[in-house]
Amino acid sequence: MDCRVKLGNDANEAIQFDRESLSFFDKKHPTLAGKVMGTFIQQVFNGLTVGGIYALIALGYTMVYGVMRLINFAHGDLCILGAFIGLTLLTGAAGSGHSGAVLLLCAFVLAVVVIAIAGVVLELVAYRPLRKADRLSAVVSALGASLLIENSIMLIWGPDVHVFPADLLPAITWTVAGANITFVQVMIILASVVLMTALYFFIHHTRFGTAIRATAIDQETAKLMGIKVNQVILTVFVIGPALGAIGGLFVGIYYREAYFTMGWTYGLYAFIAAILGGIGSIPGAMVGGVLLGLFNAFAAGYISSSWQDAITFALLIAILLVRPTGLMGEPDAGKV
Amino acid sequence: MSEPVEKQSVPSVWRIRTLSGPLLWAVGLAIPAVFDSSWVSIAAIFAIYAVSALSEDVILGRGGMFDMGHAVYFGIGAYVTAILNSSFGLPIFATLPAAVLLSAAAGALLAGPLMRLRGDYLLVATIGFNSIFVLAMQNDPGGMTGGSDGITGIGFPSLFGLPLASQSAMFWLDWVVLGIVLLLMRNLDRCEFGRAQRYLKQDELAATTLGVDARKVKTQAFALGAGLAGLAGTLFAVQLSTVSPASFVFTESVTLFAVVIVGGPGSIPGVLLGTALMFVVPQIFRDFAQYRYFVFGIAMIAVMVLRPQGLWPQRRRRA
Amino acid sequence: MSALLELRGLGISFGGMRAVDDLSLSIEEGHIAALIGPNGAGKTTVFNMITGVCRPNDGQILWQGQDITGAPPHRIASLGIRRTFQTIRLFPDMSVFENVRAGCHLRAHQRWWQGLLGSPAQRREDAMLAERTHELLRRLDLDGVADEPAVSLPYGLQRRVEMARALVAQPKLVILDEPAAGLNDAESAELSQTIFAIRDSGVTVLLVEHDMNVVMNVTDHIVVINFGRKIAEGDAAAVRDDPAVIEAYLGRDDEEPAP
Repeated sequence: MDCRVKLGNDANEAIQFDRESLSFFDKKHPTLAGKVMGTFIQQVFNGLTVGGIYALIALGYTMVYGVMRLINFAHGDLCILGAFIGLTLLTGAAGSGHSGAVLLLCAFVLAVVVIAIAGVVLELVAYRPLRKADRLSAVVSALGASLLIENSIMLIWGPDVHVFPADLLPAITWTVAGANITFVQVMIILASVVLMTALYFFIHHTRFGTAIRATAIDQETAKLMGIKVNQVILTVFVIGPALGAIGGLFVGIYYREAYFTMGWTYGLYAFIAAILGGIGSIPGAMVGGVLLGLFNAFAAGYISSSWQDAITFALLIAILLVRPTGLMGEPDAGKV
Repeated sequence: MSEPVEKQSVPSVWRIRTLSGPLLWAVGLAIPAVFDSSWVSIAAIFAIYAVSALSEDVILGRGGMFDMGHAVYFGIGAYVTAILNSSFGLPIFATLPAAVLLSAAAGALLAGPLMRLRGDYLLVATIGFNSIFVLAMQNDPGGMTGGSDGITGIGFPSLFGLPLASQSAMFWLDWVVLGIVLLLMRNLDRCEFGRAQRYLKQDELAATTLGVDARKVKTQAFALGAGLAGLAGTLFAVQLSTVSPASFVFTESVTLFAVVIVGGPGSIPGVLLGTALMFVVPQIFRDFAQYRYFVFGIAMIAVMVLRPQGLWPQRRRRA
Repeated sequence: MSALLELRGLGISFGGMRAVDDLSLSIEEGHIAALIGPNGAGKTTVFNMITGVCRPNDGQILWQGQDITGAPPHRIASLGIRRTFQTIRLFPDMSVFENVRAGCHLRAHQRWWQGLLGSPAQRREDAMLAERTHELLRRLDLDGVADEPAVSLPYGLQRRVEMARALVAQPKLVILDEPAAGLNDAESAELSQTIFAIRDSGVTVLLVEHDMNVVMNVTDHIVVINFGRKIAEGDAAAVRDDPAVIEAYLGRDDEEPAP
């Protein structure tokens, strides 16, 4: 995936990148440093935008894994389904005279509601019947669900790339120290921060949040403590997909396109972010998402996108082998 | 032959069962005589993917290891043949040993780190390896792999100087290879290596206390599965006369994975059934071809919930 | 007679808790030895260390004088040590015959390619091992159920199958982890006879057991442990009257008496 942002023409002309001698603090070329600083800030914003999206999607993976020790492979596809639902409303209501903001709001609400319901259905149909079976059966079921959702998207909307309507949001661009930051980017970053803060507050400062954390630590004991584990799990399958749907719709709005295989493209990246941060850890998913987004943004200028992807996968394998608990996860007392 | 069938003495039933497989295979040889060349090519593709699926079964079905990046080995075999044949002019059959050995070596190499991972993590790691392979091929290292467009113009194999240039000839080659692989799988069922795989899959701890060397058996399984996939890859390269990275993306691995799980892990007829459902049925019902993955998605969930041993499970072995 | 198996200063901790501490004992060839102690004393942990399932932090395990500490389970098996499990770990999808045949795994010297190609040598070996398995099943009165799924049998028979699986390879030492658990009196008496028969066929026996009748009847040598440490050692008579043993089993309020 390509999250490079095209630099303005004058920026391109003025900057001669020589990797070995590039120095942000090179006092000999103050204007060069200024342009480079602009690029740096540019990449930071690009990275935070994409990172916020990854984080929103990653939270779904990590929350489900936390309470059920299951990788919900269908999650990425659910998120992209959210994008498609939003897209359908936006293209359907185009020209209806409502402002872009209203339409977008409706699109988000619709996507969240539908995908939250879909998440619950997924849990009830594909995972709950396998609660007692060995864990790997649930993995296969998850893969089946992923195929199912991905291909449903293909069958309903077709295999082509769909374009999101333009002019939904004001095309304002701010220039900060040489970097061009768009309204969309700021919106996504702000929304991600707000949502993640809200989730954090919910998890750590409400009773239900505590119930979720308890279930994540030890399902059996939580049950004995009177926690309704089924309810907790259903809630997780509402919140996770809901946040993911927002993330998915953001993907569509930011890149202005959607296609049915995006579920695996972005889902896999978000999953890697969750692993990087420590699967099962909510702050981990947030940190992992942002880090991966920043990595993508900074690498974009220097490495081709396929090598970038290859490095990301290599990083994933390395983490799984060396430190499977990621940056912030607790060691899983995984019994062999 | 008309004696009442007792529990102990079932020679006649046994004979029918063991003969029906080879019989069906022999009947299959007649396909080019009965069907036109488009069907023959479907049958050829079926044979190639059947070998691939059986090779995945060695690791996933019998070994219980969640390999969802199996297209790597398929791809290595295909690319080795493609490169050696089109860049170095080696005849196809001469490329076979290299293709099989290199894929087997890749399997053995990856087995080491993969084995240490728990089921779902192993699965994700195999996706990672598969993706890295595809990306590497796309990047055209050393100018050898042709990048995203791949390598075209792969030649025909020739046997004792006779070129196997027609679709029928290639089909027979594929069908014979399938026959050999089926024989190997049947022997695998009965030999100590196959038994060791079963012991490990059912209870690894108990198996190791009986002397089963888990690392060795798993590495061997990976090597065997990878090598057979490499063999299928060579046949695939020849059939399509082109190889490109797009044929080996991890969605292909998901296909092989689904075929084994839905058909019946560890079951030869099950895997063949799964392959037929995935590759042949959509050709027969062209209108429904696009529903293929949708149906398989549902099938995977349904199989796990209702019939975890697969559509055509392994017969419980008696001895 | 030299010591077949010797433990010297064996110790292991699990996350700050000392499960086994400074345990030393030796088992003579041809003996029937028992490791007893209250619940949670660390007996199964000792077995797990001997059979390579977990790795001790301190001490040594010597087999016929050779240090085998920390060797993996399959290597331990190759030395001629077999075990049964407290919870019975038969292969769930296999018949009785196949389960016992599994014990012959190390006797199969065929190479992997011989197996794949179905060579005559491989088939001969297969037939030979099948015959050996059937012979043992006959001797242990299990050939009537040879084709039944092993886990469908009554509990007592399952234990016998697991024991057959451990014995078919003619090991030098067999470790029985609570073989009398879940057996009634008649079956326990039968078990005692079986253990004698095993010893008489040249196999040294080490068992962990709670059933004192079986232990007292059958063993030559008993080691008592509590909280991971050895508290007494000797033959049945000596151990029965040892005050430390009595206290361990019947002693303080918070401990359960021996069943």
